[in-house]
Amino acid sequence: MTGRVTPLALSILAVASWAVSLGVLLARPELFLVALPGVLVLATLARRAARPVCSIAHRISSDRLFEGDALTVIVTVSSPARVALLELLGPRPPGAARGAGRPRALMTLRAGDVVEWSYELRFPRRGVHDLGAIVVRIRDRLGLRTWEYRHVEPMAVRVYPRVVPLRSLPRPFHTQPSVGDYVSSALGEGIEPGDVRQFAPGDRIKQVNWRASLRLGQLYVTQRHRERNADVVLMLDTLAEVGAPPETTLDQGVRAAASLATAYLARKDRVGLITYGGVLSWVRPASGPVQYERLADGLLRADVVFTYVAKDLQRVPARVLSPQALVLAITPLLDRRFAKAVLDLAARGFDVVVLVVSPVAVTRAAIARSPIDDLAGRLWDLERRADLTELRRHGLPVLEWRPPEPLEAALVSVPRRRARLASAG
Amino acid sequence: MTRLLAAASAGALFLLLRLTTPAPPVIAVGLLALGLAAVAIATRWRWAATSAAVLFLIGYATALQIERRPVDVGAALGFGLALLLLLGAVDVSARALGASLRGRVVGATLGRFVGLGVGALAAAMLATALATVVATALTAAVAPLLAAAGALAFVWSLAALVKRAAGPS
Repeated sequence: MTGRVTPLALSILAVASWAVSLGVLLARPELFLVALPGVLVLATLARRAARPVCSIAHRISSDRLFEGDALTVIVTVSSPARVALLELLGPRPPGAARGAGRPRALMTLRAGDVVEWSYELRFPRRGVHDLGAIVVRIRDRLGLRTWEYRHVEPMAVRVYPRVVPLRSLPRPFHTQPSVGDYVSSALGEGIEPGDVRQFAPGDRIKQVNWRASLRLGQLYVTQRHRERNADVVLMLDTLAEVGAPPETTLDQGVRAAASLATAYLARKDRVGLITYGGVLSWVRPASGPVQYERLADGLLRADVVFTYVAKDLQRVPARVLSPQALVLAITPLLDRRFAKAVLDLAARGFDVVVLVVSPVAVTRAAIARSPIDDLAGRLWDLERRADLTELRRHGLPVLEWRPPEPLEAALVSVPRRRARLASAG
Repeated sequence: MTRLLAAASAGALFLLLRLTTPAPPVIAVGLLALGLAAVAIATRWRWAATSAAVLFLIGYATALQIERRPVDVGAALGFGLALLLLLGAVDVSARALGASLRGRVVGATLGRFVGLGVGALAAAMLATALATVVATALTAAVAPLLAAAGALAFVWSLAALVKRAAGPS
């Protein structure tokens, strides 16, 4: 705890000194009387004051939120002795917007008083925010001395990206051995009927196709297609971003990744994540609700880290980026290194779909409209179309998403030929 | 509420100046101080309040010099208290900016100043009586020198007191 003299004490000292000096210079005793209240106040500083004691506890209404949600910070203050003036500065992480109430409070406490104070914080952007520290400032009776310390209780809130329900998802070429929602070309246990063939020893009676058997005079069985899941790896470009938070291209990309992860996990697929930027990190593909937590944690920390070094995807273990996986690259295509990495993956035979978050739309939403900016935006858009055409020329399916348009609108434009290939795979 | 208190004390200071003398230079200084006090109240800027207080003080000293009336203990003490109230109220209003107030913050501030006023009045009575006794014992030649030395020592000891209190506790 740090004790110090307040600016008020210095102001009083200045005014009292002026009064005494003028009193001597002009030989007017009234000016000494003018200085007297100030001098009396300052004289209290001669007494060594004990540090005031008060106990503070705080809690938050929720430690997990989605972007745009609000939480309430509740602070409880109690004191065994009288506190003349207590100033509390509650936690307000950068990027958090104020809701109802104020994160600063000024209060007086009588002995034994218990005061509860609360305020709301709204989090428009994903992230892990620390809400553990409250700055406490206690002033003495006359406001001349102040004691300051930080009350710290480890407390964090995780703000997850907003998720939108998706129906049209790019279908993977390859399926995995586990049970899922995709009808595989391989025959076995399933509900989708496939070929009809002659009965063989080992076939079950329930597989017998009685209609074909009666018509042909021999036992025939209906084979069924297996229903399998797939591996999906979301590859997020964190090399660069444009736009104003919380609507930057990276924010939109993270929201898209979270929505895609939720949709694929709901289909029993195994979903993994690679964040490709200044720092290369990954989450191994797996399925289930726990995997969503892992992916969300990875997405929360996704941020642009500047680097001159192009990361090599060869460093990603094969169990994370398996050759059978569908790689969904989410990028604003602002950095050519990402496009190069994607082309490299496609050249190595990976099943790659590129989802481009249009930086033009995001930037134009962040700046005021003017004819020059509109013209610049159109030119930029034309340049980008040329870049996308170049990617498509390499055989990559490229989907362009222009926020605030719904993501679903971009996903429905997955080429039909791809869907046919997937069902045949 | 605290800003109202600060405005009231600035108004009282100007009124006291006007009651002491209606001389135009004093009124001009008073108006300047009032303007600075208004800036301090509006912007909650403590150092503007300190400057306004010093200007009021200079105006009061000039008024006393012009009028050369007998010592008015009540008016002088009232002026000192109003100066203190102006500084205190602007300080509390600067603290209260963007904060939610719980309990009697303004009431407690006002109460403290009322208590201080009573204490200052008692101290002033004592000091006046003491000064009368000392004044009779001093010769006219020594008095100004003693007053200057005393004021210097007094201001130095106040500054030392504040400096000591500013150290780690």
